Amino acid sequence: MRAFDKTPLAIVVATTLLLVGFFVFPAWLSLMVVTIIAKALVVVGVVVLMRSGLVSFGQGLYYCIGGYAVSLGEQVLQITDIFVLLALAMAAGLVAGSILGLLMSRYREIFFAMFSLALSMILYGILSRTQSLGSTDGLNIVQPTLFGIKLATQQAKLLIYFTTCVLAALVTYAVHRYIRSPLGYASMAVRDNEIRVEYLGLAPKKVFYSNYVIASVVAALGGAITALNYGHVQPDMAYWSQSGEFIFIALMGGTSHVAAAFLGSAVFETIRTYALELAPDAWRVILGGVLIAIICFLPKGLWSLTQFGKRSGSSDWDRVVDEKDST
Amino acid sequence: MIEISNLNVAIQGTPILRNVNLVVPAGGMVGLIGRNGAGKTTLLRSIMGLLKPADGCIQIDGINMTTMDGFRRAHHQVGYMPEDRRLVPELTAAENILVPAWATRMPDPKVRLKWVYSLMPEVENLASRRALSLSGGQQKLVALARALMVGKKVLLLDEPFEGVAPTLCKRLVDVITTLKNEGIAVLISESDYTHTHGVVDRSYVIERGSVSTGC
Repeated sequence: MRAFDKTPLAIVVATTLLLVGFFVFPAWLSLMVVTIIAKALVVVGVVVLMRSGLVSFGQGLYYCIGGYAVSLGEQVLQITDIFVLLALAMAAGLVAGSILGLLMSRYREIFFAMFSLALSMILYGILSRTQSLGSTDGLNIVQPTLFGIKLATQQAKLLIYFTTCVLAALVTYAVHRYIRSPLGYASMAVRDNEIRVEYLGLAPKKVFYSNYVIASVVAALGGAITALNYGHVQPDMAYWSQSGEFIFIALMGGTSHVAAAFLGSAVFETIRTYALELAPDAWRVILGGVLIAIICFLPKGLWSLTQFGKRSGSSDWDRVVDEKDST
Repeated sequence: MIEISNLNVAIQGTPILRNVNLVVPAGGMVGLIGRNGAGKTTLLRSIMGLLKPADGCIQIDGINMTTMDGFRRAHHQVGYMPEDRRLVPELTAAENILVPAWATRMPDPKVRLKWVYSLMPEVENLASRRALSLSGGQQKLVALARALMVGKKVLLLDEPFEGVAPTLCKRLVDVITTLKNEGIAVLISESDYTHTHGVVDRSYVIERGSVSTGC
């Protein structure tokens, strides 16, 4: 029997519930859902990289590029349409990722981590010192339009919320398919042993490069959504602590499934929200404690809670084997 | 067919292989015998393009592969079974076997997989098990199956009998012997003639990086 892939169905159900939820949720919760999804998109990229053994401490670079692309798209190019702005942000992430990926795909382990961190801090430094880009105050973003139609505030919030949910569903499905594709499997192989991938017929650099570019694009999309959600961007998006937050969420959620990023992000934001309310001066202690507990008791992240009693690793290749079984 | 002429390989400045000349004809089965540290693995890794030669020429099926990237070997139907198996632990046996098939975009991997399973029915029984749950001997069989997926023209087996139980050694010898009728150029490295005696058509002896004709 071919293993039924439940992920597409789960994505549709989760997206539908979230879309309906907008009409039920209080305003603060809708805002939080968009924040969770935006950060989760960046974490999806971090997970893709981690599956190939690369830990990026500089994913804030592309998060920031996405955010500033939206802002500059509005202010310089006079673009206000939400879809064009999001496409612009993704294109900016793609271009930057494609260029920097040529360099980054040469580095591994701590060198990759530190290099990525350095690049994001360079952007932070440039943005902080550039008056025309708002310096440390950042830039504001006006309310987006839909196909040239100006919207009321509540309509704009609905548009951002719905667009975020639908785009997140599409990205999640696409990355899920990628992870289960030959190149996605190669990521796991290359993490264990790069030479092995080479004699099996794949170029490891190609694997690293593909993963890096994918992570760049989804991070830029996450940054663009955050920018539209809050109506503001600032250099802190590229600061090292922001990149660390993405790693934190990835470790919380786990790397075994693309949806783990969303679970991790939801738990992270929820704990942070309540920790801030309970202990405004010690919320980081609470978050740190939770992460330590997860690492100790759930080393593969929160997603491993959903995997008890299941065999991981079923894939498209099961189809090949299953078809053979049935003949 | 493998043709190696005047091959010199150095690792971090230390010469390992010295003026190696070796020929494995198409359909031929050739042994490479040498003690630990003689340079067997270095030679096989050089043929696979995993080590760049300082000098000399490596031709496979008439194509000069000396400077070609290592990952292109599989695309030229060269299969390699490393000494330490190196399966992907998270993947099943079947997925491990199929990795080179999708890496090289093999048109119909099912046909080849079926052939591999017909050679080694026991591997088919392991198909759905994850590699990390297999014993060392079972991993050897899966690694051989994986090498056979793309090794339609050339097969390089690095000490396939090393650390394997006698029963499984006999089974591996049986499988390798079957390949004689497949027209594949097979190069088997081993520390002595224990298992390859009677299987290979000819042997080379490697000693301190120099290769000479054996029996």
